Amino acid sequence: MSPAPLSELRARADSLRQAVRDFHATVMPVDLRDKSHRHQVLSKDDYVRWMRLLDQQGWSVAHWPEEYGGKGWSPLERFAFEDELARLGCPWVIPFGVKYVGPVIYAFGSDAQKQRFLPGIKTTEEFWAQGYSEPGAGSDLAGLRTTAIRDGDHYVVNGQKVWTTYAQWADWLFCLVRTDKDDKPQSGISFLLIDMKSPGVKVVPIRTMDGYAHVNEVWLEDVKVPAENLIGEEGKGWTYAKFLLKNERTAGAIVGWAWHVLDRLKRHARESVVNGLPLIEQPLLRHRLGEFELRFLALELAAYQAVEAMCDGSESGSEASLIKIRGTELYQEVMETLVEALGAAGVACDVEALHSAGLPPLGPDDAGGILKDHFYNRAATIFGGSSEIQRNIVAKVVLGL
Amino acid sequence: MSTDLETIGMLRDSAARYADDNYSFHQRWSVLARPEGYSPQAWSDLAEFGFLALRLPEDDGGLDGDAVAVGAIMEIVGARLLMEPVLASAVVATGLLLKLGSASQKAALLPRLADGSLILAFADEDEAGNACVFDGSRLIGGKLGVLHGDVAGELLVSARDTAGAPVVLRVGADAAGVSRRGYRLVDGRGAARFSFDGAPAELLQPESGLSAAAALAETRDEAAVALCAESLGIVRKLVEITTDYLKVRKQFGRVIGSNQALQHRMVDCLLLQEEIRALTAAAQQALAGPAAERTRIVSGARAYVVHAARKVCNEAVQMHGGLGVTDELDVSHYFRRLMVNAALFGNRDVHFTRFTDAALAR
Ligand SMILES: Cc1cc2nc3c(=O)[nH]c(=O)nc-3n(C[C@H](O)[C@H](O)[C@H](O)COP(=O)(O)OP(=O)(O)OC[C@H]3O[C@@H](n4cnc5c(N)ncnc54)[C@H](O)[C@@H]3O)c2cc1C
Repeated sequence: MSPAPLSELRARADSLRQAVRDFHATVMPVDLRDKSHRHQVLSKDDYVRWMRLLDQQGWSVAHWPEEYGGKGWSPLERFAFEDELARLGCPWVIPFGVKYVGPVIYAFGSDAQKQRFLPGIKTTEEFWAQGYSEPGAGSDLAGLRTTAIRDGDHYVVNGQKVWTTYAQWADWLFCLVRTDKDDKPQSGISFLLIDMKSPGVKVVPIRTMDGYAHVNEVWLEDVKVPAENLIGEEGKGWTYAKFLLKNERTAGAIVGWAWHVLDRLKRHARESVVNGLPLIEQPLLRHRLGEFELRFLALELAAYQAVEAMCDGSESGSEASLIKIRGTELYQEVMETLVEALGAAGVACDVEALHSAGLPPLGPDDAGGILKDHFYNRAATIFGGSSEIQRNIVAKVVLGL
Repeated sequence: MSTDLETIGMLRDSAARYADDNYSFHQRWSVLARPEGYSPQAWSDLAEFGFLALRLPEDDGGLDGDAVAVGAIMEIVGARLLMEPVLASAVVATGLLLKLGSASQKAALLPRLADGSLILAFADEDEAGNACVFDGSRLIGGKLGVLHGDVAGELLVSARDTAGAPVVLRVGADAAGVSRRGYRLVDGRGAARFSFDGAPAELLQPESGLSAAAALAETRDEAAVALCAESLGIVRKLVEITTDYLKVRKQFGRVIGSNQALQHRMVDCLLLQEEIRALTAAAQQALAGPAAERTRIVSGARAYVVHAARKVCNEAVQMHGGLGVTDELDVSHYFRRLMVNAALFGNRDVHFTRFTDAALAR
């Protein structure tokens, strides 16, 4: 099947955006909408409900090929979908199942694995976590040391993962392990699916500066994993991991998030009056807003250019990095400016209270939520390939330096 | 008149030693868990060392410390993230009282400030649309973001009289007609918002005849300069911690500090640290100088330092990777402290505007 012409993809993306807006206005439960508009922390139940709602619209895995229950969305539709959700301030589309491990399973898994896991990923019947990083292997993922030793019909896994987002909720962990110690770092790595209920799996929460534990240490001690949970071939894990990282780094929602925060900042600037003058008329803030608008315009256009290049296969390889680097940096700066513009209300929250439904002591109802997001997203330039590592990759792979 | 170098050196050493022994990052956890948002024990220790009487005249048992002396203490407050109301009570509010209090007001309050039995907070930021007005005996209006207002025994409140002239009032924090809502700030310290509904208030009226407007301007400048010193303490620590981390954290088979991409940025952080140090010292000197020059240097320093310190801190977080955003590591506590400090006593834009006006008027 030859790819549809760009004009048609654009039209499809536009109508998808409209459908997302309609969904947000009419289908999304009011409590979930209110919570996410106030940027409140969501519970596992909220997230599961949210992901199922997306599934009911036919959207949770629409970017998968049709034979696995998807709609074969083009990169443009996928971008439009996530971007529009983010602009509307909707909850995060939890990526670990639908975006990360799902595609690895349909691309490299056995038929039995596809049948066993893909349906539960599509419906979020099973919750997934990503077990890549280790204390000694962050940016240098290939330095991972968790071992999996084959013993008859299973592997015995020992080691420690860290920064594992939502491991406390997960039913399954997709995990990079070392099956051959003697090989080159990359070639001894395998990709295993580990049942979180297995004996020997221990989850220890890590508190981040927003007072919450999104991330965890996952300790693996003599964990028996059936050999049938190996994806593809032993020692080929690095190839699958790279495939997954490529998906992780697709433009995603960062452009929409940056837009959402900028919009919130403008609203705040219009609504607050300081010394008789609306903030938006104060020269310094106004100038900053103009700069953000301009940088956002460049980001948005570059994102479209990148996503359209992905549609016709003309991409250079730097596109996703460009959007992640610029998007996360802009997002953080706008967020910083918003917090600063909130003044006394921008620092008036007990971090312990950021995760309750209580109203902040000062300022608008969403002030606490804004702070929570500000803290969490300080990590956006660190996770999913830090800004430094993204630049290193582009320098090497695209520029050949 | 300036505090002699020997006294300052002594202050610095004893504060540093006190913090080393009693206020490690580890020991600080128990302070964070306290409902008061500070440690009453540490507070009385600080009184015992004489730090709370730092600004008092020698006749009142104080050190008559100038801005440099205050800075020496504030650097430690920043470096060790002390939670006690040193800035709010011992530096800012005490300073305002010294300028504007009558002899009897000072006699009533200074001993209790020196021994730590009174926490005095400076309530300066009006609630929007509810500015504070004093009718000669009573106060109405609202104040926001009063640092340590949650634990203060008394307040010094900026307001206007019925003729619109600035005044400063002494108000009991629990007096009739005062309602207080305490809350925690993101860095764990306490604050409060107040509303005054005909609260009894006593005018601060000095024998010197100094105007409240002038005293308030000086006090806000003193707060700005003390915050610069606190930021300097924080930034020095962040540069030190991060440089050390770059030398030990290994990825790709070598320390991350061997990457030039990080080396250059760390050098930029060091340059920012040195600029902060120079600006802070200049601002401390300028406090005693002529008004126009004081405004230019003090506001310039404050505007630059807020921005520069935040930049260094963002780099410190980034270069620590995932660790940088954890609660377990001090870096994230410096991050939160700098956020709060940026919002205290006149933000970056207020000072940048004052600086620009003063600089262009020369
Ligand atoms: C909130 C959060 C959620 C996360 N969720 C997950 C998850 O679900 N699953 C998972 O597996 N991982 C997760 N991570 C881990 C994340 O991917 C790692 O933090 C990241 O890869 C960086 O690794 P590190 O923290 O060990 O930092 P390090 O690799 O130690 O890096 C420290 C600093 O050095 C820089 N650096 C390193 N090497 C170089 C170089 N060669 N050149 C220039 N600079 C360099 C880095 O960019 C960084 O600034 C999460 C992290 C966070 C903070």
